[in-house]
Amino acid sequence: MSATVLDRRTAYRPPRPAPAWWGDVAGSAAVLSLLVVTALWTADRGVQELLGELATGLTSAGRLTGLLSADLMLVQVVLMARVPLVERRFGQDRIARWHRLAGFTSFHLLLAHVVLTTLGYAGTARENVLTQLWLLVTEYPGMLLATAALALLVLVVVTSVRAARRRLRYESWHLLHLYAYLGIGLALPHQLWTGADFVGSAAARAYWWTAYLVALGSVLVFRLGLPAWRSLRHRVEVAAVVPEAPGITSIWLRGRHLDRLPVRAGQFFCWRFLDGPGWSRAHPYSLSAPPSGDLMRITVKALGDGSAGVATLRPGTRVLLEGPYGRLTGEHWRGGGVTLLACGVGVTPLLALLWELPYAPGQAVLLYRARTPQELAFRAELDRLAAVRGVVVHHLVGPRARRPSWLPVHAEGRSDAETLRRLSPDIATHDVYLCGPDGWIDAARAATRAAGVPEQHTHHERFAW
Amino acid sequence: MRRITGWLLCTVAALVLLFSYKTSTMGPGGETSAIAAGAGTGSTAAEPGSGGASGPGRYDGSVAQTRWGPVQVRITASGGKITNVSVLQVPDGNFRDRQINDHAVPILRQETLAAQSAEVDTVSGATVTSDGYRESLQAAIDAAHLK
Repeated sequence: MSATVLDRRTAYRPPRPAPAWWGDVAGSAAVLSLLVVTALWTADRGVQELLGELATGLTSAGRLTGLLSADLMLVQVVLMARVPLVERRFGQDRIARWHRLAGFTSFHLLLAHVVLTTLGYAGTARENVLTQLWLLVTEYPGMLLATAALALLVLVVVTSVRAARRRLRYESWHLLHLYAYLGIGLALPHQLWTGADFVGSAAARAYWWTAYLVALGSVLVFRLGLPAWRSLRHRVEVAAVVPEAPGITSIWLRGRHLDRLPVRAGQFFCWRFLDGPGWSRAHPYSLSAPPSGDLMRITVKALGDGSAGVATLRPGTRVLLEGPYGRLTGEHWRGGGVTLLACGVGVTPLLALLWELPYAPGQAVLLYRARTPQELAFRAELDRLAAVRGVVVHHLVGPRARRPSWLPVHAEGRSDAETLRRLSPDIATHDVYLCGPDGWIDAARAATRAAGVPEQHTHHERFAW
Repeated sequence: MRRITGWLLCTVAALVLLFSYKTSTMGPGGETSAIAAGAGTGSTAAEPGSGGASGPGRYDGSVAQTRWGPVQVRITASGGKITNVSVLQVPDGNFRDRQINDHAVPILRQETLAAQSAEVDTVSGATVTSDGYRESLQAAIDAAHLK
């Protein structure tokens, strides 16, 4: 199947990079939203109250932390909604890191909000703090719901602390994480009914309603609507399952109008295979062959949980897809030489790039790292790329080096950069693509830097989820 | 039953219970809880016997509109002195208003009787009520032609 499909080449259209102003718009919007919230608080006598009596000061600080926390939560909802504007510009790996940072920040602000507001209210009403807390929860409008919201967000944060995250199955963690949406929703009534800033001014009401609707809209449109529409339109199903190497399997997928799917080599989808239990988990797998006719291909390494089941998929299984995502595409290629460094199953998106990019013979170098010769996948296909497209392929096989290095142990005598220059002599002028596990990418990037490749010509995407 | 169905059912059940609690659907001003009713608004506590209209020696101040609601004061004057003050209206739209005003109104009343004028200090934490109180009190004093 592969030879016939992959050799069918159409005229190359370079993928358009996401315009730089997309990032500026998205970043500015996030910063502006925090600024607007602070300004609304200031306009509502926030500063005067903060500097006034102790009790009113505490309440005022409690209001500000609560408002900033709510705003940051909404920013995160938009951030994780896979809005193309954000996702194409920054890439999911970076977005996920920001989400983690914003998540913990907003949670700490939330805790401060609870403590400060309780102390402030107790001070103003001259009430014992615990009595005040009890009254707040049981008597203030919407506050029981807000307490439940707090409990849910605590649950989400606790299960996301690294130590807990490692012990949980991905599925459990993911389902628990969905409670964050419920938490954000349950916190809304107390903002509406007891929040001075919500009730206080028309501008504040307008801002907050807009923020909530934008967050809800982005989830409905980009997280649910678009994937559902694409899945229905293209009706993708498993066409064939092909073992490539021990533990590495390729899945050919057939669908309608795949040429209309806006996906490029180097990108990935989040896949759901409707073959029984476990379908609710989406797996991010890169295309190892971009769509051609009504076929495309992914290649998967059996790691744990769901990915091992891929080898037993039956032809005809329906597939839901979410995407395409990812920035490891030809949009970075300047039209000259290209060096691709792959480790293990990280070869998949690079293989797709090798088929798609219109480099001249001899201009493309693939350095393919694997632990054992058996783990090298796509031998026949790489031979074919070498013969038909003039790709220079070097296999680097062997156990890991004893120092942090992208090389196998037997090559660790030489410096990483020197070996890189020896295998790809013009690498300093090339565009360089990297794909592999986290630690390996760090070592490989250090080597490319030392070999003289400027930072902006090195492209990688991390697949540590 | 699968575990995920169990989770879903538990979540729905918890939500139903949460929303059946009185404070979960009341909106900003619709409380009718027992504690709130028992606590009163301060005006009745200040002068239980005050009637509906101004009687002899009684003067109602104007209604001062504050951001949290109207404030209105009634004074009883005799021999050119303020002998009693009661509060006809203070903001009581929510539990916090009541908590604050239950505390502030008796203090404002004491200060008024001591000062015999509208020059009373703001009660900390009850700036809005104090402002409205002074405004309405001054109008009542003017109406009584005191000083």
